[in-house]
Amino acid sequence: MHLGVVDYGASNIHSVARALQSLGSKVSIVDTPDKFKSIDKLVFPGQGSMGSCIKKLNETEMINPLSDAIKSKPFLGICLGLQILFDSSEESKEKGLGVINGSITKIKDINKENLKIPHMGWNNVKIEKKHELFSGIEDKQFFYFVHSFVASNTETSITTTHYGEEFVSSLATENIFATQFHPEKSGEIGLKFLENFINWKI
Amino acid sequence: MSLAVRIIPCLDVRGGRVVKGINFKDIVDAGDPAEAAKRYDAEGADEICMLDIDASFEERSTTIETVKSIASQVFIPFTVGGGIKSLKDIDMLLKSGADKVSINTSAILNPDLIEEASKEYGAQCIVLAIDAKQDGEIWNVYTHGGKNKTELDAIEWAKKGQDLGAGEILMTSMDKDGTKSGFDNNLYMKLSNNLSIPVIASGGAGELSHLVDAVKLGKADALLAASIFHYEEISIKKVKQALQTEGFEVRL
Repeated sequence: MHLGVVDYGASNIHSVARALQSLGSKVSIVDTPDKFKSIDKLVFPGQGSMGSCIKKLNETEMINPLSDAIKSKPFLGICLGLQILFDSSEESKEKGLGVINGSITKIKDINKENLKIPHMGWNNVKIEKKHELFSGIEDKQFFYFVHSFVASNTETSITTTHYGEEFVSSLATENIFATQFHPEKSGEIGLKFLENFINWKI
Repeated sequence: MSLAVRIIPCLDVRGGRVVKGINFKDIVDAGDPAEAAKRYDAEGADEICMLDIDASFEERSTTIETVKSIASQVFIPFTVGGGIKSLKDIDMLLKSGADKVSINTSAILNPDLIEEASKEYGAQCIVLAIDAKQDGEIWNVYTHGGKNKTELDAIEWAKKGQDLGAGEILMTSMDKDGTKSGFDNNLYMKLSNNLSIPVIASGGAGELSHLVDAVKLGKADALLAASIFHYEEISIKKVKQALQTEGFEVRL
């Protein structure tokens, strides 16, 4: 099993790579278009805005091989890696990859609960639908989040989390799984989740 | 449902070893940083903080090795501070595995550093650390590990830091640090009331009630402590249970 972690030049990909390596996986950094071929499973950790991410993927000519891989290989998107799967985001003019219908919006109702943006820290993850990647993980466990924008109301939703509003903290469709939280920073439970991804058979 | 109150054990590191002093003085050796970080992770720490005290240019490579060693073994958020002077320093620490950097003296000497770092890497990874000592009604800011007094007011400086783009304030009370007599809750309450970014309270933890009070009275979002966790005087779990009893959200 050969895992690839996409590096488009803006995100801290090393913590994801280190976490996967600590679980005994062979991990390669995918930073050029040709490196997608030899990869069995792909992880896309993202940071920053959708616009700058899409721009960088265009500049590095990785956008097409990435789109192809998302259609064919087990794929895990983390944080911005979840958001770019959607059609669009309030954050940027650039369109997302459009794999999932809908738009990413800024977290709402923060004033009502006197909440701070970004949503940063440990929050509960409520399991709405059973999925292999959550096997062995109990309902309402804490995962680590850092973000200001969210996905809501998608049929693909696997878990939800409350912060100002109910948002999608993870989703899945066929070979794609994506999380708003950072499993690589969520301690023991995060590692269990990543282990489930490594063992995930489609 | 709100965010869990974070418990952050801090490793004061010098020359690749954990050390501990009282009121920034009388330093003693207290073990291997990566081993300590691993233990804290297993005990339920929500983050790990490592402060390289007296970090100098010659010791940079040791610091980087220690950061790499911790980051390859511990998978919770990891903050590194001490001697950070430039974007290059920040870049190197983030690449070595730090998730956040904590900036103290350099931010006072060069406030642009906070602004530039926040723009480049995002507010979520820039922590403004402040060492403060009470003087009558106000708290003065000190630099260089508590050695030099400045003219800055700690509350005003924290607000300025927030405006510059800091994502969190780590405030250490020099009056309380190492005394185990409780947190400076007046300072934290004032700070929390004046800021919209999270406040990490540090300095003075000695008993369970001190930690609970810093959240209850001081309205701190996170608690940082070194010796009580290091010498296993109070377990992280006990702190969380006590906070939960008081109705605060914790990750247990």
